[in-house]
Amino acid sequence: MKPIAFRSAAARPAATRPALPRAARVARLVRHSPLLQVGLVAGFWLAGEAMVRLLGLPLPGGLVGLALVLALLASGRLKRQNLRRGAQWLLADMLLFFVPAVLAVLDHGELIGLTGLKILFVILLSTVMVMVVTALTVEALSRWSRADDEPALS
Amino acid sequence: MMSLLSPEAAGRVLLWSLVTIGFYAAAKRIYRRWPRWWLSPLAVTPALIALVVVGLHASYRDYIGGTRWLVLLLGPATVAFAFPIYEQRALIRRHWPVLLAGMVAGSATAVLTSWALATAVGLDGVLRLSLLPRSMSTPFAMEVSGDIGGVPDLTAIFVVITGIAGGALGDLVLARLRFGSALARGALFGLGAHGVGTARAHQIGQTEGAVAGLVMVLVGLLNVLAAPLVAHLLR
Repeated sequence: MKPIAFRSAAARPAATRPALPRAARVARLVRHSPLLQVGLVAGFWLAGEAMVRLLGLPLPGGLVGLALVLALLASGRLKRQNLRRGAQWLLADMLLFFVPAVLAVLDHGELIGLTGLKILFVILLSTVMVMVVTALTVEALSRWSRADDEPALS
Repeated sequence: MMSLLSPEAAGRVLLWSLVTIGFYAAAKRIYRRWPRWWLSPLAVTPALIALVVVGLHASYRDYIGGTRWLVLLLGPATVAFAFPIYEQRALIRRHWPVLLAGMVAGSATAVLTSWALATAVGLDGVLRLSLLPRSMSTPFAMEVSGDIGGVPDLTAIFVVITGIAGGALGDLVLARLRFGSALARGALFGLGAHGVGTARAHQIGQTEGAVAGLVMVLVGLLNVLAAPLVAHLLR
């Protein structure tokens, strides 16, 4: 993980291409390969996991990795184009990653029948309540904050 | 990784990975052509795979043994959320107090109503705990579920049901209560129905979609951070 390398790569003009130092060549490769970007993101995840283990943090490693990436993006050490396609791929097909976990339903026969109906009832009603409360809160507050400053988007 | 050395295990990984990825790709294609909520790839893919697993007289253990590497990718997916958060920084800077209030109110409602309704219909123990984090996006929900003493696998199932139902319920709620601000409409979908809701919100409008995605991510973060506290209160 050498974030400095990405900055130097991005700052270098394209004309100097043949003489690019290795770090810059790697960065250019990353910019054009979604797969390498996925690898980069996975690297940050592993770094987060390692930090959590080593420091004994009470946080999931993925979250630490996320914070790491955000900090590097915000400080300009990591360019968004080195991450964009990989991140979008991971997010767009995130569904695929938890399909296997959903199949656990096969081991939970107790969910079929009355228990399943009860669970469905709880989920449906609770979801409607969550939606109504959230939207009412945001609507009320944004109307209120619109009154005293800039026009809010709507 | 050791188990990959045996041909039997390698075959299992190959078979179930191909089945999973193949059905997922097919389900996505079907949904693109007929975008009905009940044809959501979220529902169709596991259903098709379940047919194959049962048809081949295999067990969930066989199946998950071959596809655990896919579930592991949820870790990098969590990290990938840094990107949309960074992209929406202007929106966050401008509206963070309103969005934060909405997220806290919504999360509290999710946990309290799940707990109360589950208790009312006589669900308790692990089932009730596993229901609490179901409004969140899966990687976060499974993390929180484990933290508070639920079963992450069960929570994954509940998250999926919430998503599928939430896409349709959100439309119903919006038809009854007209919310004037795009922030409110986006937050409704992002908090109520995570990924599926975000997809639906994108169809309604750009701001709605951005807000939904942002709220979905931030509420996941918020809840993962709050989970130890909730776990403490539940004990």
